Amino acid sequence: MHEDDSGVTKKRTLQLPSMSVPLSSHEMGEVELSCLAYAKMYLHASQFPRCSVNGLLLSSSAAGGAVCITDCVPLLHTHLSLAPITQLALTQVDVWCSQTQQRIVGYYQANACASDSSPTPCALKIAEKIFEQCNNAVLLMIDGEKMFPGCRVPPIVMYERKDARWALKDKHTIMLRQWEETCSIVNQLFSSGDQALLVDFDSHLDDITKDWTNQKLNAKIMELVSPANGNV
Amino acid sequence: MSSISELYDVTWEEMRDKLRKWREENFRNSEQIVDVGEELINEHASKLGDDIWIIYEQVMIAALDCSRDDLAWSCLQELKRQFPDSHRVKRLAGMRLEALERYEDANKLYDSILQDDPTNTAARKRKISILRAQGKSSEAIRELNEYLEHYAKAAFCLEELMMTNPHNHLYCEQYGEVKYTQGGLENLELARKYFAQALKLNNRNMRALFGLYMSASHVAASPKVSAKVKKDNVKYAAWAASQISRAYQMAGRGKKENKCSVKAVEEMLESMQITMS
Repeated sequence: MHEDDSGVTKKRTLQLPSMSVPLSSHEMGEVELSCLAYAKMYLHASQFPRCSVNGLLLSSSAAGGAVCITDCVPLLHTHLSLAPITQLALTQVDVWCSQTQQRIVGYYQANACASDSSPTPCALKIAEKIFEQCNNAVLLMIDGEKMFPGCRVPPIVMYERKDARWALKDKHTIMLRQWEETCSIVNQLFSSGDQALLVDFDSHLDDITKDWTNQKLNAKIMELVSPANGNV
Repeated sequence: MSSISELYDVTWEEMRDKLRKWREENFRNSEQIVDVGEELINEHASKLGDDIWIIYEQVMIAALDCSRDDLAWSCLQELKRQFPDSHRVKRLAGMRLEALERYEDANKLYDSILQDDPTNTAARKRKISILRAQGKSSEAIRELNEYLEHYAKAAFCLEELMMTNPHNHLYCEQYGEVKYTQGGLENLELARKYFAQALKLNNRNMRALFGLYMSASHVAASPKVSAKVKKDNVKYAAWAASQISRAYQMAGRGKKENKCSVKAVEEMLESMQITMS
């Protein structure tokens, strides 16, 4: 007879609805990135140019079909590879997602060294964890070298899970609707000074009155997204 | 375009003091430093006395951050004129070359410093930065290990830092994070102790509070601990949880957008509830 040793009952782990609907062939592997998600990732990387930064990609769409990344949560800009705060952040975002009908569908990272956009071991580890719960999870690396005004190409490199490893996604399966408009919105955020509104989880821990869900900034961005475009 | 002193209604003394504060606290708010520093240098150089040299250094580094090579160059010239054979100024010249991505030239400069003074750690650190900037991380690590030859691991470094800076809650907390990441029961217990120590030094350190909560929870959940240890850790975790809740309640007061974070934390703590078996 052995004693019951579980002192901790974890009702919540990183639990997400599993993918039970097969992807239809013509939508296979398509990923859509919204203006809101892109803008906040870009702002996050810009806010800490000398640090590696990371965050989570979220979707408010139902599972199945193309992956629509509708929002993101900026997480860290210090000690990305230390466990406790990452675990804490993942748990909190998970809870928030279940409260707001969103799912974690990916992970993004921008390396401190702008010329190197390859995924670090830490990035692969976290992406792996997300993939356990979401089988079309994406790993997104921000390409620092392409982050300059007037660059015509999105500074993004995406990876997907194929044959037990993370493989580069075909660029043609990545959709950024209204790219020109998205760029202009990001520029507007910088000129109005609103880029300083962005809060990541690290900053929240430094001052817990700061809102890591970025409600204020989200509202500003959605204001700039023209209503005619509908679901951006 | 109006000056900083006009815009913010500050005196030159206040600007000088602000620069000192930023220096002492190691802030890297380069755009602000350039704005304030450039005006101070251009308009009030004669009043600054000997402070001007350290201000030139501070502004020069900030100028490199903001791609203001014109400003960086003029600061460097002033420093070169005043301190013609200084290693410290040479290092600044090297940093400017790094900013211009002239790594070969920068390395030559640092090597000449190290020839004169092989113990010059500043030059050694710059050489490692260059390797990192070039993406040569394994070489950087090798150099770093040589540089750190008296220290075996990151934890050891932090131990040294803690000994010489016993009141610094940040080192304590970081040490806790390293231990937690290394994992295993012993390390988790150590982690908990250091998070607790960090909290003693600064009871508002949220990372330490969460760290304490998480490490105590894990220790309590381990099948290898005695009933007493489990009981103690359940208590520590419960205490930490209540402190966290309280802190978030206070933070969330009145601000609508904070309700999301407050709720998320409450639910998280609830779901990770520790119960006595």
